[in-house]
Amino acid sequence: MTAVRVWSKPARVVLVTAGVGLAACTLAFLAALFLHVAPENSVSRAYRGQVDAVVYPEFEQNWKLFAPNPLQQNVTVDARVQTIADDGAVTTRDWLGLTARDLAAVRHNPAPSHLDQNLLRRAWDFYETTHPGEDQAVAAGPRGKLAEEYLKRIALQRLGRTVAGERVLQIQFRVGAATVAPPAWSTEQVDTSVHYRELAWWPVNDEDYRGLS
Amino acid sequence: MTGARPVGDLLPRLLTTLAPYQAAVLRIGVATAWGGFLLREWPNRRVLYGDRSPWSAELNARLLADTHAFTLLAWNDGRWWFEAVYLLALAAAAAMLLGWRTRASSAVFALTVLSLQNRDVFVGDGGDNVVHLMAIYLVFTRCGAVWSLDARRRARRGADDPTAWSEPRAVLDALAAMLHNCAMLVVAVQVVLVYATAGWYKVQGSRWQDGTAVHYPLHLGYFSPWPELSALLGASLVVTFLLSYGTVIAQVAFPFTLANRRLKNALLAVMIGEHLAIAVVLGLPFFSLAMIAADAVFLPTAALLAVERRLTGRQPTGGPPGSR
Repeated sequence: MTAVRVWSKPARVVLVTAGVGLAACTLAFLAALFLHVAPENSVSRAYRGQVDAVVYPEFEQNWKLFAPNPLQQNVTVDARVQTIADDGAVTTRDWLGLTARDLAAVRHNPAPSHLDQNLLRRAWDFYETTHPGEDQAVAAGPRGKLAEEYLKRIALQRLGRTVAGERVLQIQFRVGAATVAPPAWSTEQVDTSVHYRELAWWPVNDEDYRGLS
Repeated sequence: MTGARPVGDLLPRLLTTLAPYQAAVLRIGVATAWGGFLLREWPNRRVLYGDRSPWSAELNARLLADTHAFTLLAWNDGRWWFEAVYLLALAAAAAMLLGWRTRASSAVFALTVLSLQNRDVFVGDGGDNVVHLMAIYLVFTRCGAVWSLDARRRARRGADDPTAWSEPRAVLDALAAMLHNCAMLVVAVQVVLVYATAGWYKVQGSRWQDGTAVHYPLHLGYFSPWPELSALLGASLVVTFLLSYGTVIAQVAFPFTLANRRLKNALLAVMIGEHLAIAVVLGLPFFSLAMIAADAVFLPTAALLAVERRLTGRQPTGGPPGSR
């Protein structure tokens, strides 16, 4: 090793002070991270304010990857619209598989886009977590309204302003959940059919299309 | 671990830049993952993060008022500001990859990562989360000490003997080194937390216990781009069991293997292998690359130097000695 520098007293004071300060900050930060990812416990409850102040918004993390259990359901989101003709006649159009389009884009793609793999999938997750009720129709808090507008705009971007030349009047979503069949060697009996749940019709106006084209 | 060192030796070592090669690998890996992702999403950039996003600037503004997350894209919601930020993000990723003006580049890199990801936090996945955290930690490291254009420039300028420095300069250098060492500790603990939480929460899961967990992701539409391959991999009872149990054991054990060099290195190889498989089978190449970059901070310096010799065909030059 090269010759070790001999520090003057003021230099030693600066280095030791900085070292102790840095070590304390580092340990405090790591403790906050640990409490954030650990199961809720007596300490994390007692210091929730401090932990949240460190972790949010930029150090948030969730590493329960496929845990405690992997997702065992294929969730599909479909949408359909009602359109209005010039003479005022309203037509209800067929269901369109939004998730089905995503899956087609992911299929045989070595690097699927976030657009196909995450956008709609996570928007639906967002909707679910902000609509905790049994029928998932009522928004809990202001984020629920954000989730509704987001979901609506995702569908409208893919459907367009008009269908067969008629203006879109309302939109409706339905979500299908199909349990993944257990492995061939499993003796479990599982219903793997798709179970649908329909949301209410939501009105569509020009404002919903802003910036989507 | 070459036997006990006297404590008097340890303290001066903390004033030097430890693990410079591991910091460089992290920088190169994260920059590759994020830069590659930005290039891949080039055709979709305006819908994901820009003026055409269904998560409109107005919706995001309502969320940011609540979360206070940082994004340059909140300043202006026009197309050209967005395009400028996206191009800056690409440039910062390239600069980080090459280690050009690394300290400044790492700050721009972190700002652009935060700006794009916080424009729509609902399009990201675990890979984005890793890049987000590592981008911030890298700002505090000396990740350009080796394997960088900066290091080459310093080498060309000629040896700068630290013992000849004035004391104020030496103090500043030691402070920067301490900051770097703290940041590298944070990176290492962060990776441990990722595996520890991923593993320990799995232990409680009935599917991981009954040895069929791996079967399920292989049959999710969003994560089976190659259904034939997924079916092949999940076809065998024993293989599915071994992959399920092996994953949990490796993740739970990882933090403890750090006490033993050989065991740590063996497990690291397993982890990297698993992430390579995930990249292909689950269609998550950028997530996997980011995880491998994070794993790589635990690679032994000797292995990294061997890679350097293999790639450059010469003995390593310059740079302070590594730790591990």
